[in-house]
Amino acid sequence: MLYKNYLKMHLKSSFQYRYNMMFITFNQILINISEILAVYLLFSQFNSVAGWTFYQSLLMMGIVYTVFSLTECFARGYDEFPKLIKSGELDRFLIRPVNIHYQIFGSKIEFTKLARVILGIVISIIAIVNINVDWNILKVLVLISTYICGIFVIFGLFVLSAGISIYTVENLEFLNILTNGSKELAYYPINIYAKWLTRIFTFIIPIACFNYLPLSYILEIGSIPSWLCAISPLLGMLFVIPCIIFFNLSLRKYKSTGT
Amino acid sequence: MGKSYFGIFKMEFKGELQYRAKAISGIATQFFWGLLQIYLYSAFMKSDTINGLTIAQMTSYIWLGQAFFAMRYIVMGKRIGTEITNGNVCYKFVRPINIYNQWYAEGIGQKLASTLLRFLPIIIIAVLLPENLNLHAPTSFVAFVLFFLGLILGLLMSHAISMFAVFLTFKTLSEKGSIGIVSSISNLLSGLIIPLPLLPESIQNVLNYLPFRFISDLPFRLYIGNVGINEGLIYLAIGFAWLIVLILLGKFLINTALKKAVIQGG
Repeated sequence: MLYKNYLKMHLKSSFQYRYNMMFITFNQILINISEILAVYLLFSQFNSVAGWTFYQSLLMMGIVYTVFSLTECFARGYDEFPKLIKSGELDRFLIRPVNIHYQIFGSKIEFTKLARVILGIVISIIAIVNINVDWNILKVLVLISTYICGIFVIFGLFVLSAGISIYTVENLEFLNILTNGSKELAYYPINIYAKWLTRIFTFIIPIACFNYLPLSYILEIGSIPSWLCAISPLLGMLFVIPCIIFFNLSLRKYKSTGT
Repeated sequence: MGKSYFGIFKMEFKGELQYRAKAISGIATQFFWGLLQIYLYSAFMKSDTINGLTIAQMTSYIWLGQAFFAMRYIVMGKRIGTEITNGNVCYKFVRPINIYNQWYAEGIGQKLASTLLRFLPIIIIAVLLPENLNLHAPTSFVAFVLFFLGLILGLLMSHAISMFAVFLTFKTLSEKGSIGIVSSISNLLSGLIIPLPLLPESIQNVLNYLPFRFISDLPFRLYIGNVGINEGLIYLAIGFAWLIVLILLGKFLINTALKKAVIQGG
């Protein structure tokens, strides 16, 4: 399989700079730990936010870290799509008889992000151990689908911002709001923000589907019908479909930059 | 002698002004982050006063942070990292000027220009926002003067700390890595991740005397009146003392690193 070769290639190339790779990994962990520490300090001052405790909030952070880093690791090609356009690499992709998405996936795999995935899982476990939940099989299924939904939504956002960059060419900073903005938003239960923001990030970009909604089902809090909260991750996954359609339509309009 | 450093500063300053589209996109981003933080901390604070900080003071603190964000970050200056890793740094050795001063002037020029490009639009929008989200006027004229002094100290301090990332790059040859280490420490301790007035008092008592809070925390608190005039003057003195210490230490470290640096041809 072609993807296996891509994997091998990227693994080999990152191990060429072993020292650098370790350094970058160490660094990313340090940044995340300082973020977690900051949230911990904030909660030690205020105890709770809108009724959510530190460990409940920490579970959301664990979910975001895990799904965002996992997506970043394997779908980094979409994140760096403007580079492919500018360098003309995309033109080469387009004339090859292999699906374009396949090639974008293969263009970059960042193994250093896997350390963050592990950190995310560790945080999730710490949080799960420290919250009071009567676990049953349905709740476990909802939790698992929450993670999968997160991967779908974040991936959708990467594809969407890659699609937009076909028109703007430049990787403008505000496209960051889509990806990184959504990420930081999901560190906390999304219902603490203003109504209009909560609505946008529930109905347009379904961050709430791997954040507030499924967790309020698991923790049995909130006023939204619990069946709706339970299936929300499944609904959230659908977000990726329009994103891919948009990307494919935009690609038809693509004009090479001529490099 | 000072004239040549001023020339470097001016050149970087003009170069930075060229990127206007980037600045507009950056302003939009800063605005969004600002709103997000205000909603977040308002949710934490409910309607309380915490450590003597009101919600109105908190919103002002956030907007100042967004307006002056360009000077709060740890950046090395645009070309420095690549110069060190690709070896072009050796051209700097042959010039008859001090290399630390040269890099320091470059960095300050870039930071000041991107700050000046961005701060005014954000200030204007933030003042016009509805109640509970907006930026308020400074508490007094004297507070404003001290705020301005604090900003100058902040700009100088921020780059004095950034220069330690330059030093680390000599050791690690990884620009990203060095910036990452210095900034993850600095961002937490300077109040960039979470405004320092929102932290528990016992932690604040320590952070108040470390150099990082002088990057932006002190001027902002002077502006919102969270730090009084007399107290502020003492802190400013401590800050300038730290600045001198950090610059001397940075100079010493970079000079020793340069003595050991080996240029590998090419």
